[in-house]
Amino acid sequence: MLALLFILFAAMAVGSALAMVAQRNPLYSAISLIGVFISLACLYVMLAAPFIAAVQVIVYAGAIMVLVVFVIMLLNVEQEERRRKRLKFLVPTAVVLAAILIAEVAFILATVQDFRGSPTEGDIAVGVTHSIGPALFTQYLLPFEITSILLLMAIVGAMTLARRGGLLPPNARVIPGAQQLPLSLVDPRAEPDDLRPVETNTTEEAARLLEK
Amino acid sequence: MEPQLSWYLALSAVLFTIGVTGVIIKRNIIAMFMCIELMLNAVNLTFVAFASFFQDVTGQLFVFIVMTVAAAEAAVGLGIIIAIFRNRESLDVDDASILKL
Repeated sequence: MLALLFILFAAMAVGSALAMVAQRNPLYSAISLIGVFISLACLYVMLAAPFIAAVQVIVYAGAIMVLVVFVIMLLNVEQEERRRKRLKFLVPTAVVLAAILIAEVAFILATVQDFRGSPTEGDIAVGVTHSIGPALFTQYLLPFEITSILLLMAIVGAMTLARRGGLLPPNARVIPGAQQLPLSLVDPRAEPDDLRPVETNTTEEAARLLEK
Repeated sequence: MEPQLSWYLALSAVLFTIGVTGVIIKRNIIAMFMCIELMLNAVNLTFVAFASFFQDVTGQLFVFIVMTVAAAEAAVGLGIIIAIFRNRESLDVDDASILKL
């Protein structure tokens, strides 16, 4: 029974992963990757690790993939165009590397002695929060703190990188509500294509100008 | 028949292989990014399998930390992707061969 479930989830994972690599549209790739994450979460449940399964769904399938899909839609990504002539050697390289790794898998399956034991017998309480929490906050406190510093660095780095920089000179004063309007918009006597800027300092001032 | 440890290791190796192949074949930077996520997940599966079969919680803590690193990587990586797209108007890795933005 468990073997059948393993085969089902493994087939789902491998199939979704293959679909992800085969797709040309990044959005379809992202959906397939979510399929991989969900089937891996099912496998974690089979391995008696319910906490990791929940975190997998929440963090990976929830947060990270939402971020990726958001960026894909934000950038309006085109379909991957056909391969150009150069770098054509990459496909044979990939196939050879894949063949080597698959041979390693066959080696594992054929020769490695199976570990006697099973996740469902013995102490079940390994994968629940009751055993993860104390270990995380006592024995592994230092990695935990390093992780929090890493997250802080990631927040600052992402904000710095994704900020739209370079529009304002470094010593510019930013006034809330200040904006520039083209002259033709606020003055009916001006030429329709007169785009000389008129500056206002507040939103109310801009509204008064527009009403004239 | 119960699933053995080697089954999980083999599945993990297959998933990692698919991820490596994707990183080599793909040229869209977001698709390569997702293939890297797939490789991280393959390693996570190994950690959880060993943790369960050896009845030791350490492997699951490693998975926890790998997930955090993946989240940080996603945030910074997508920020870099957005910055590259603003400057290059393209997501092709061949177009992003110069470090200067």
